[in-house]
Amino acid sequence: MGNLIRIRDLTVRFYTYEGVVHAIDDLDLDIRQGETLGIVGETGSGKTMTALAILRLIPYPGRIESGSIVFFDRDLHSEIELLKLSEDKMRSIRGNKISMVFQEPGAALNPVYTIGDQISEVFLLHQRRELGKRANKQVDRLLRDGDGLAASIKRPFWHWQKRLYNKIAQESNPFEPRFLSHVPLFRRLLWRLKNESKLLTVDMLKDVEIPDAARVAVHYPHELSGGMKQRAVIAMALACSPELLIADEPTTSLDVTIQAQMLELFRRIKVEKGASVLFITHNLGVASEVCDRVAVMYAGSLCEVASVEELFLHPSHPYTKALLDSVPMPGKELQTIPGALADPLNPPSGCRFHPRCPSATPVCQQEKAKLKEISKDHMVACHLF
Amino acid sequence: MELRSYIIRRLLFLIPVLFGVTIFIFGITMLFSPIERASLYVTDARQMTNIPQLIETYGLDQPFWVQYGNWISEVFSGNLGWSRVVGMPVGDAIWAFLPATLELSIFATPIIILMGIFLGTKAAAHKDRPLDHGTRVMAIFGWSLPTFWLGLILMMVFYGYFTGLLPPSRLSIPMELVVNSASFIRYTHINTIDAILNLKGAVFLDALRHLILPVITLSVTQVAFIMRLMRSSMLESLGKGYILTARAKGLSERVVVNKHARRNALIPVITVAGYVFAGMVNGVVITETIFTYKGLGWWAWQSAVRLDIASVLGFALFNSVLFVLVNLVVDILYTRVDPRVRLGGVMQ
Repeated sequence: MGNLIRIRDLTVRFYTYEGVVHAIDDLDLDIRQGETLGIVGETGSGKTMTALAILRLIPYPGRIESGSIVFFDRDLHSEIELLKLSEDKMRSIRGNKISMVFQEPGAALNPVYTIGDQISEVFLLHQRRELGKRANKQVDRLLRDGDGLAASIKRPFWHWQKRLYNKIAQESNPFEPRFLSHVPLFRRLLWRLKNESKLLTVDMLKDVEIPDAARVAVHYPHELSGGMKQRAVIAMALACSPELLIADEPTTSLDVTIQAQMLELFRRIKVEKGASVLFITHNLGVASEVCDRVAVMYAGSLCEVASVEELFLHPSHPYTKALLDSVPMPGKELQTIPGALADPLNPPSGCRFHPRCPSATPVCQQEKAKLKEISKDHMVACHLF
Repeated sequence: MELRSYIIRRLLFLIPVLFGVTIFIFGITMLFSPIERASLYVTDARQMTNIPQLIETYGLDQPFWVQYGNWISEVFSGNLGWSRVVGMPVGDAIWAFLPATLELSIFATPIIILMGIFLGTKAAAHKDRPLDHGTRVMAIFGWSLPTFWLGLILMMVFYGYFTGLLPPSRLSIPMELVVNSASFIRYTHINTIDAILNLKGAVFLDALRHLILPVITLSVTQVAFIMRLMRSSMLESLGKGYILTARAKGLSERVVVNKHARRNALIPVITVAGYVFAGMVNGVVITETIFTYKGLGWWAWQSAVRLDIASVLGFALFNSVLFVLVNLVVDILYTRVDPRVRLGGVMQ
């Protein structure tokens, strides 16, 4: 299996009034095709920023300073450098080939539009051709079956619609439909596109196991429970069958029972759709359940990447060990990591973790360790290896 | 059905409001002694001797509740009193002056609200960039301009240098004659609307010409105000999670701002826009005075200056009715903009 995403030397900085915040430092990370990669780390370790950097949605005043993010497009069978893409091209990738599920489903949905509106928006944006084809079939059926007075009056309009939908289905940005969509009354000729997108939306909602999907589609977000909302958000992200689904702590704000259902849903999605998943979490238990490989981040840099079994059985980086020790377990005294998370404004020199590290050596203060492969598929960035 | 019962409930709410407002204002007028109030009826030095008799006739030395009761029972029988300023009953005076003010508000309000929302959205979408700085400077400038000063400067320019281009008052004299002629039916007494209904283009243009300066004077400050509000409201909604979701969907910045952010940012603006409109219908004293555009503001001001108690009370009554109605409309508009808002706070 090749890499779907290859991140090299990614550096993200925030230029704030207080100074430069080093959000991500020289990050190297690969996401393989069809795998679920977990990123774990404390709050502020740069997990979400990594995800947003892939989508190029780093909020102001942040900037991607350097590095490269290469995305392998399965349809085109070619590699795309995301950081060099024009904004228009990038938009056609967002929500289409790479999509994201956010932490707080309540905040991620716009409160003034219905669930159906918000999901069908994705179809209307990225799948116009598909919608055009489907609408075309509808019109064909009408032209074939329609009879009686009403049909004979409507027939010229159906022909017009057929031409429009044909253009939409075949050309990338045809002039006539684009022009008509701005003209009142005439834009109604295109209503079948919207209708088809609604139908696809309902299918999508059924796909994420929402009961009574057609009714839920016309509900507003505040009328649904947290779990339902999260399902709707996942449906939105999956709408265009993305190659990479980024899930940013998708279960954190949910009840434990709903969490379990969500994890099950993610596992099923991965199997059915063949998408890679980048699963961001601070919950090691969740990570162990859904992920194939796990990457551990600390203060904007990567500590360790390994397969789940390897990481939990043979943690190598001192931070990973400390993190695993601080997981609460019955019958065991709770360990904590001494010190506080590195100040991103003035990060420690050398290895970011050295002030809190029990096995720090003088060289840790001066130099940052590079990622080294210590056994097969087990990479560690530490001077001890 | 829900809407109708809600409107009825809110209109019933008018009753206590009106009682409260009138008791309050009536109470303030009670601070004047009976002699002072009686002297208002005196127009001649020789009548000074009649004061005790006047106090007797009008019951000015009666207890507060009796006087208030007298006044309110008159109101219930449809008599709001006599407006000495214009020499007609108060009710008629309100109807006579309302159209002028309403005309001003009808033209100024859309300009204020649409311009404010448009500029505020643009400023927020271009936060900390030249366009934002530009509009902010303009807003502070507009908001700090004293209305009377701006009015006077406009007057100086347009009455002094470009004489006759944008004249004062509501209509020029020839058009006044047309409007008052028998063939011109005054449906609403709002000149522009009447002109359209009577298909008199010249009258319409003339009325519009007279409106331009007062509308500009009114708009400058209010646009600045709405713009500032819209900008901060937009910035708040642009920072929300659903905006990030919308961007992650691949929507263009234009759709993100105009569809997803703006509708959420409208709630505070609707509230204020309602009050801006009500405030204008209540009369814009300074603007009306400067441009000799006789409307409610001018009349209320004159009445207050001459201590015309009946007129002031009538005006206060009208005021409260208007504010309650505007509030009602604003509340109904909320439900149109934000599906989370339910009328009367009843969850379905």
